[in-house]
Amino acid sequence: MPGIGIPTLEASLPPIVKRNYGKWISHEHPRPGVIKHDSETGEACYTVRAAMPPNARVSTATVRKLCAVADEFAEGFFRITQRNSIEYVGVPPGRIDELIARLAALGLPVGGTNRSLHNTTCCTGYMHCHLAATDPAAIMQNVSAMLLREYQTDTLPAKLKISGSGCINNCGEGSCADIGIVGVHRDLPPIHVEKLKGCELPLVISVCPVGAIRPKGPGMVEIDPKRCIHCPACSVACGAFAPIGSADGDGVAIVVGGKSSNTGDGPAIAKLVIPYLPNNPPHWPEVTKAVKTIVDAWVANARLDERLGEWINRIGWERFFQRTGLPMSLKLVDGYDARALEYARSNVRFRW
Amino acid sequence: MEKIKLCCAKCGFTVEEYVADELAADSRKLKRYKYLKNKSSICPSCLASGRLNELRAIEEAVVGGAAQPDAKSSAAPVGHAEYAAGETPMMDALAGREWPSHTTELKQTGYPVQMYEQALQQRRTQWGYGGYVSLPGVASGVLVRSSARPDITKGSNFLRIMDPCGNFFSADAMRKLCDIADKYAYGLLHLLSTGGDLEMLGIPTENLKPAVEEITALGFDIGSTGDDYRTSEECIGPAKCDLALYDTLGFRYAWYRRFLDDVQYPRFPHKIKSKFAGCPNDCVRGCQKADIFVCGVFRDSPRIDQPKVAEWVEGGGNITLICSRCPGRALHWEPGRGLSIDADSCMHCMYCSNKISGVRPGVDRGVSILVGGKLRGKYGPTLSKVLVPFLKAEPPDYKEVFDCIERVTEIYDEHARKKERMGDFLLRIGMDEFYKLTGITPTPHLVSQPRTNLFCHWDAEEVRPSHKESPCPESEYRR
Repeated sequence: MPGIGIPTLEASLPPIVKRNYGKWISHEHPRPGVIKHDSETGEACYTVRAAMPPNARVSTATVRKLCAVADEFAEGFFRITQRNSIEYVGVPPGRIDELIARLAALGLPVGGTNRSLHNTTCCTGYMHCHLAATDPAAIMQNVSAMLLREYQTDTLPAKLKISGSGCINNCGEGSCADIGIVGVHRDLPPIHVEKLKGCELPLVISVCPVGAIRPKGPGMVEIDPKRCIHCPACSVACGAFAPIGSADGDGVAIVVGGKSSNTGDGPAIAKLVIPYLPNNPPHWPEVTKAVKTIVDAWVANARLDERLGEWINRIGWERFFQRTGLPMSLKLVDGYDARALEYARSNVRFRW
Repeated sequence: MEKIKLCCAKCGFTVEEYVADELAADSRKLKRYKYLKNKSSICPSCLASGRLNELRAIEEAVVGGAAQPDAKSSAAPVGHAEYAAGETPMMDALAGREWPSHTTELKQTGYPVQMYEQALQQRRTQWGYGGYVSLPGVASGVLVRSSARPDITKGSNFLRIMDPCGNFFSADAMRKLCDIADKYAYGLLHLLSTGGDLEMLGIPTENLKPAVEEITALGFDIGSTGDDYRTSEECIGPAKCDLALYDTLGFRYAWYRRFLDDVQYPRFPHKIKSKFAGCPNDCVRGCQKADIFVCGVFRDSPRIDQPKVAEWVEGGGNITLICSRCPGRALHWEPGRGLSIDADSCMHCMYCSNKISGVRPGVDRGVSILVGGKLRGKYGPTLSKVLVPFLKAEPPDYKEVFDCIERVTEIYDEHARKKERMGDFLLRIGMDEFYKLTGITPTPHLVSQPRTNLFCHWDAEEVRPSHKESPCPESEYRR
């Protein structure tokens, strides 16, 4: 039964890591998808990184195949990275080509290191979630297949991270990434009167960030359509306000310029550039086209080592919209909370 | 064997269930059965009041509790054959491309593929809200996913398994996890969720207990759902990175030793996510996602190995680019004299250490603690804010750092409202108030700039030190 904690370091680490724990002195990228770490013991460690299916949903059949590869090439260990890539650590340098061929046979492309498209991540979406306004897994399948060459070669100006979230809860970390694809609802939540009896109404009223839910007579509430911001807070708090969304109301928003590293301009949350695109399964052509447009403009104009957000910071938002051809709209202007005025502009140092 | 069920007349929820023979033999059970049958009661599921319906059904006999899942799984994976049927044009359109496809994976498991197919066709998710499962002895780690399409699947549960150090999995342990997933669940794993857990999907309620027992017997533990400390995530740190400024793996292991109870027993106003990054590169996205973010930092200048840097430049390293992209413009390269760093301009951002072979972070190392990052909350995404700029991280128990984390959690637990994330709480009470509550000594490192308005709070004691009683007591919160 629970209460035992996580496995010890001794049990979880592969031998090459145990031998060189904390003794690494430098790293380099010999080829796309391969990282070499040098240790002060003189040992070199080659890591091969491969992509996983969107949302890292893998069947046990596939996992067993990955385990067999680990036994053969990496002393029986593998590692899952923060962006859901799979890494084989300590591969003998002479066998890297063989390993890449084996992974290719399993359908896993190798890449995603240095200045390339890093593995795309997303939340579970339609696959296993009740809140999803879109299916980021399918979108990521399409986007990643479109940008496969960028994944396998490191020819971009800097690293590019693309993430997708099914709703604005952002479990898929859309707002963290250079390009984030976030599902949005546009309908008001329903009120199922018969379920209100089981509701903790004060909680529902207080979880609404904008106070759009207000009492209307005993045991009844109403929703102010002018205030509702279509976050799923009330539907999570109480089943009477669920399900939120509809086939035509739901869609996709695109945000750009997030990063968490302190290099360059420092950490930033991504900014909204496209407020709504329709859901169009299975290939979401509008979304993939928008992503392609943004990536192409960045690749054509950015300097080396300039992440998407830093490129926009340098050239300014007016140039960004000009270069990408995306339309500016009132939806992109923040009027939401106490910080709203900070994002409006005070200087007149325009770029025309 | 004949079974008698007492069900809600409206929603069909089974309130009590009896075996007919046992009922006849046991007078106490019979008494309760008669009492429940004749009484008007409130259904625990739909809250409708009224008399309960009686249903009689003949069911196959089951010997013992544990034998049940075995008998089911030995024939076929749970539900596999049942749901594999049916055309899946949308899912097929997503398979067979160059990128690995999740639909191919789903089809190899017991996952009810029509749930996904129908969602894609109707452009609406087919999963439903709500649901609760009680598993004695397990307070967190089990989630229910109910179905809005009972004609396809009844819905099921999934388990959150805490990932091991550095997310390294040995093939042997992983194969055993696969065995458990095949035996009790869909045979579908989530490697890993964005929160850092391994999720095992599609476990019927009757299989939960044996699944949890086998997983814990394997040395993995479950937890991290609800309003508790969520699974902490660490970067790869000293295990495979030359830039790590403290031992993130050891730190996380020590964190679990100290805070495991709070990971497994929900008690806070809302979830608290913790992330541990080894250096300011922040590979775990802690600044954006974590309520409590521990980031490795150093205070002296980066160390330069001049011969190695010269070698790197000769080998084709673009030193001009690195110098021009240094955020503080602190780097200077002169071919004869080597690389120099202006200490006043250096922001300790790691850029030069990332790119130049021969430049390494300084040796005066520690951690800073940031609080309040989140991606939605009540007021949208916020980056986390510096609470403690520098602390020494001292193994093996990291007492000073963990004490600070515990203090922050206590303040949050005591003052935050229900379902208010740390970032929203900070916005409501103000950073100054939070520093006061936590007893942090203000330093310039805490702010990106001092305030521009002059609306400070002054205590009466500060205005007139001799004044004993405040004429207008300061309220605890600003809003």
